[in-house]
Amino acid sequence: MNRKIFLATFFFISLFSFLGFQENEATLALEKTNKQFNLDLTEIDLSVNKLLLAAENLTEKESSIAALQNAIEDTRLKYKKTEFLLAYFDPYNTKKKINGAPLPSVEPNVPEVVVIEPSGLQVLDEMIFGETVFENKKAIIELVKKFKKDFSEARIFQSRIEMEHRHVFEAMRQELVRIFTLGVTGFDTPGSANAIAEAKKSLEGVYAALNNYMPLIEEKSRGLAIVMDARMEATLQYLNVNIDFETFDRLDFLMNHIEPQYEILLTLHGQLGIEFFEEVDTRQQAVNYHAKSIFSNNFLNAGYYANLDLNNPLIDKRIELGKILFFDPILSNNIERSCASCHQPEKAFTDGQKKSIATDRQGNVGRNSPTLLNCVFSDKYFLDIRESRLDRQMLHVVKSDKEFSTDYTEIIKKLNESKAYKSLFSDAYPDNPNYLISTYTISDALSSYVASLTSFDSPFDDYVTGRTSFIDPAVKRGFNLFMGKAACGTCHFAPVFNGTVPPLYDESESEVLGIPTTPDTMNVEMDQDLGRYASGLPRDKAEFYKTSFKTVTVRNVALTAPYMHNGVYESLEQVVDFYNRGGGVGLGLEVPHQTLPFDHLSLTPEEQADIVAFMKSLTGDMSKFDTPEKLPVFENNPTWNKRKIGGEY
Amino acid sequence: MTKKFSLFLALAIVCASVNSQTLFDEEISIPAGFAPTEIVMPPSPLTTQVLFVGGVDLVQTTPTYGNPGGETVAKEWHDFIGMTPDQSGQSMGWVSVNHEMIYADDMLGDGGGMTVFRIKRAADGSIEIMDQTLVDGRSGKFFNVDFANTVGETGMNCGGICSMVDGRIWTAEEWFQSSNSDIYDNGGGIRDTSDFTVTNSDIPGWNGTTLKRYQNLNWMTEIDPRNAKAVRKQYNWGRQPFEGGAVEPGNQIVYLGPDDTPGFFGMFVANTPGDFNRGTLFAYKHDKQGWPWVPIWEDGSMLDIKNVTVSKGATMFNRIEWVTINPENNFVYFTETGRDNPGNAWSDDNANGGVHHPAHIARAQAQGLSSPNDPAYWDYYGRVWEYNPTNGQTRVYLEGGPYFADSPTEADYPKKALSNPDGLSTMMIDGKPFLVIQEDLNGSSKGRVPAGISNRLCEVYLLDLAIQNPTLDDLIRLTAVPAGAEVTGAIQTADRKSLLVNVQHPSTSNPFPYNHSLTVAINGFDNVSYDNFRNDNPFDVSFKTTSGDSSFSVYPNPTTRTVFMNQVTDVALYDASGKRVLVKRNTNELDVSLLIPGIYFVKNSDGETLKLSIQ
Repeated sequence: MNRKIFLATFFFISLFSFLGFQENEATLALEKTNKQFNLDLTEIDLSVNKLLLAAENLTEKESSIAALQNAIEDTRLKYKKTEFLLAYFDPYNTKKKINGAPLPSVEPNVPEVVVIEPSGLQVLDEMIFGETVFENKKAIIELVKKFKKDFSEARIFQSRIEMEHRHVFEAMRQELVRIFTLGVTGFDTPGSANAIAEAKKSLEGVYAALNNYMPLIEEKSRGLAIVMDARMEATLQYLNVNIDFETFDRLDFLMNHIEPQYEILLTLHGQLGIEFFEEVDTRQQAVNYHAKSIFSNNFLNAGYYANLDLNNPLIDKRIELGKILFFDPILSNNIERSCASCHQPEKAFTDGQKKSIATDRQGNVGRNSPTLLNCVFSDKYFLDIRESRLDRQMLHVVKSDKEFSTDYTEIIKKLNESKAYKSLFSDAYPDNPNYLISTYTISDALSSYVASLTSFDSPFDDYVTGRTSFIDPAVKRGFNLFMGKAACGTCHFAPVFNGTVPPLYDESESEVLGIPTTPDTMNVEMDQDLGRYASGLPRDKAEFYKTSFKTVTVRNVALTAPYMHNGVYESLEQVVDFYNRGGGVGLGLEVPHQTLPFDHLSLTPEEQADIVAFMKSLTGDMSKFDTPEKLPVFENNPTWNKRKIGGEY
Repeated sequence: MTKKFSLFLALAIVCASVNSQTLFDEEISIPAGFAPTEIVMPPSPLTTQVLFVGGVDLVQTTPTYGNPGGETVAKEWHDFIGMTPDQSGQSMGWVSVNHEMIYADDMLGDGGGMTVFRIKRAADGSIEIMDQTLVDGRSGKFFNVDFANTVGETGMNCGGICSMVDGRIWTAEEWFQSSNSDIYDNGGGIRDTSDFTVTNSDIPGWNGTTLKRYQNLNWMTEIDPRNAKAVRKQYNWGRQPFEGGAVEPGNQIVYLGPDDTPGFFGMFVANTPGDFNRGTLFAYKHDKQGWPWVPIWEDGSMLDIKNVTVSKGATMFNRIEWVTINPENNFVYFTETGRDNPGNAWSDDNANGGVHHPAHIARAQAQGLSSPNDPAYWDYYGRVWEYNPTNGQTRVYLEGGPYFADSPTEADYPKKALSNPDGLSTMMIDGKPFLVIQEDLNGSSKGRVPAGISNRLCEVYLLDLAIQNPTLDDLIRLTAVPAGAEVTGAIQTADRKSLLVNVQHPSTSNPFPYNHSLTVAINGFDNVSYDNFRNDNPFDVSFKTTSGDSSFSVYPNPTTRTVFMNQVTDVALYDASGKRVLVKRNTNELDVSLLIPGIYFVKNSDGETLKLSIQ
């Protein structure tokens, strides 16, 4: 054989076998992960059988109750080990039936209201660690049986999924978010508060999978392999030592464990040559997988929520037009009110009123004005979450007698009288001349602007993401209380601290708090606003949605007083006090479907002050939200040109 | 089954083995002069054209609630679509669009609603919306159907009926309410809750009848699309949460589908063909000796049709949606969209007389349950039923799914997954009848969307009605609809050149107007043959090579926008600059419908590369 050809062939073969080796390593890692997953699922099966036995044998004896509590803890830990894959592959089934929250829900997409009672491991956790365990024996047995059935059905489903590398990496990163937001906060351990041990078990599941990939990672990047190895060990060690729910330092855990690993896993995903989601499916997702940090300003994808392509080259022009419209009272019937009337930039886009002033100053619109900052990160809008699309949100304001009290056709007619407006519209929307000034362009420009109103530059964000290295210790303590003992973070989910549920962030929650009419804690009267129940959506006509309101963001809350849907509280101290007392029920009101824990949170005055300090540290830079200096001119209508930027009131 | 044996079974659930998975480079360098075999994917013979944008286009209104008539923004949430052919030949006819919403509006009228418009075929093959002046003096292109001044408001206009005989249109109101305060809905629903007295009705016995306002909802309501006016509420067909229906070619029978659990497959037989105001209402009862239909005609029963039907022992279905008829043989097809766990919803009705269809009983038994009444009984995917009018038999024509216990896998999605079929119509392609099936997912669990995806996507499928016992493999995914769109209704034009589809607010960032509720025409069906929709991999039947020496071959189907491969492999698609843009695993076909036209390189697991030019 000619030497040259031989060399070339040799080179080719060695290259090929090297690539072949990698393929084999990768396949091996996946096979191991898949096999382990199935073994771990079988472990759950075995544990549930023991749980059922413990439930059936339950007596009033303390030892019997303890045995049942051990059994549910064991089942939950077995579940936690598989959670990252189980929940990734079938998120809704896992959320509703396997580890469902102890709250009723409404059957989706059916023509009538059908209530689904909660079931699964969270409900069992709450019941078995409750005060009337023996009395609930029958219910517990039924719930375990139901879980057994639902789980075996879930297993059949799981057994047919073809696991891919991409799935494993996406699932691992998703689990890090879940552990931080739902795990260590105690969200899914309402009874046992066994959150830290469970978080460790979840991570063990993740790390077992990652370890399968270690030989391959070493091939690609020895440095990262060493780093990750050391980090995994350090984290498990950390969770061995720090086991107390109340004193667990969630900020430390976030910054030194969750965040770095969240970033490294992304790097590894890319370096291993594994395809990304967008190469498989074109749909936008709520979480931007390419964000390195949970607290980075692009972690959530505003375009997904607003149904907008924010990468459109015209987006800046559309936002600019939207901003002008936002501050222009020409949109209202009396040309005195604009969007900014109730959403003023310096007040974080609220108005400082208990309830916003109605048009012609005839009373109020019925509710407190919510902040528009980060409001895009929500799958439903308004305090009663009646509108699912941001671009249709404005329609409600336009038509309302108490707000703009007009009609789109009127607005279109008016805007068409301005050459300046026409040219702004044609610059921003050159593709659809037939719809130049239309409901589409008006609402699209406004929603583009509202989608741009994001705020992740507060002192707390600067600290978490490492832009600054110092923060008031009270803020740290406050964050840890918020995410732990005070249980704020189990409804106001990080990183927006609103009701958009992690780790998928695709569903907005509302809560029944039992809000009173006045801050008076002695003579307490319940606010009668039915909230979500009266949203007008047939699917919300369920008893447990009465007086339920959207969980709004806590970001910039220092600027948005007064608080609650009726503006009842003037200070954050009052708000924290309300929660500390156990909401409406804690105040002595009858609130049959209150979703807030009824019991006193036992927060000391110092602890309450720390929580307030943390919330105040979530105040972003408002100076970047400027007001237009002038509004477009109407050539033939000089009186309109006297209109005030942002409206009269 | 013994306990031991079932335990053994539980342990024996095999874990799916993983396939060897190729890790493709994120980028490949394309050397100058690199000239692999090139395959050309010609442009699709089907093109889309936007006709009507909900919430944006303006409609002409009649004087309503004391307000003058005029022009305002149309309602949205398009659902049913009807096409009334123009017998005069002056146009293609009138299109009727349902708005599935409840919304108070001073000009359009409260509740749901409809919009109608007239179309003609332009010289270039596209569709033109015609200017019209109606008898009531309204002039324009789009017209709001007047319900408020005629038969009373409607709510949630979802499905409907478009007669295959003459294009008569009925709209269905799914929003089943049982009190005036519910329909009033704090002023956001139907604001006039005074009693409604029926006047000018041509249905015997109904004139002068006074109904509570909420009772005047949930009827099939006929409209006149030529004059944009409602004609009558069809009180003689019963008050039900209607979704769909169909008129058979003899113009004597209307089949009816209510969206409820239980929902009862209904039939109204007219005394005189074409006069649906006089006749007899029946409910289907599969186990009745002889003709399997029971009459429902007690006095006063029209307002309480469900209980009467239950007491007659009718067959219970799990949410019937649309109904359609195969024009070749008059067989009736209807969708049963399913609900996850119907047990509690129909166990009472079963006790009171309603009967389960053997297909549901068999399904329950296969799930290890004694009856479909068991709360654990699941019906995640729904199905399409067939009714044979000559012998009165019903059978499951196409079962939804796959349920992952019997048929893998994730890789089959979305081609072989049919979940919660809802809209249903018939169209002729190349002289052969096809079902057009539209999904409306009830959830995203149980494989209704692929792993790792949280948002739903509803597909449209074609199914060749000549297939006696179709399976999911026979579904042909219609990719010529806007990306991410949820198609809620579809109907073919009389010239068979276009399929008109309604799209409901897609949750996507599609550019305008594809992010709105809209009516679109898919044109070009006259340019496609039956063969163009071939769904099977041509390599499996006859090796149609279009490539050169390489063992890796692909075959493009421009109509379905699918690239078939001669091997099952992992495959990566690189764009002209060598950037990896798409990866699909363990497959022998690629959906390229969403790719921007241009040059791509297709690479398989063995590293073999082909050039693909998408036009």
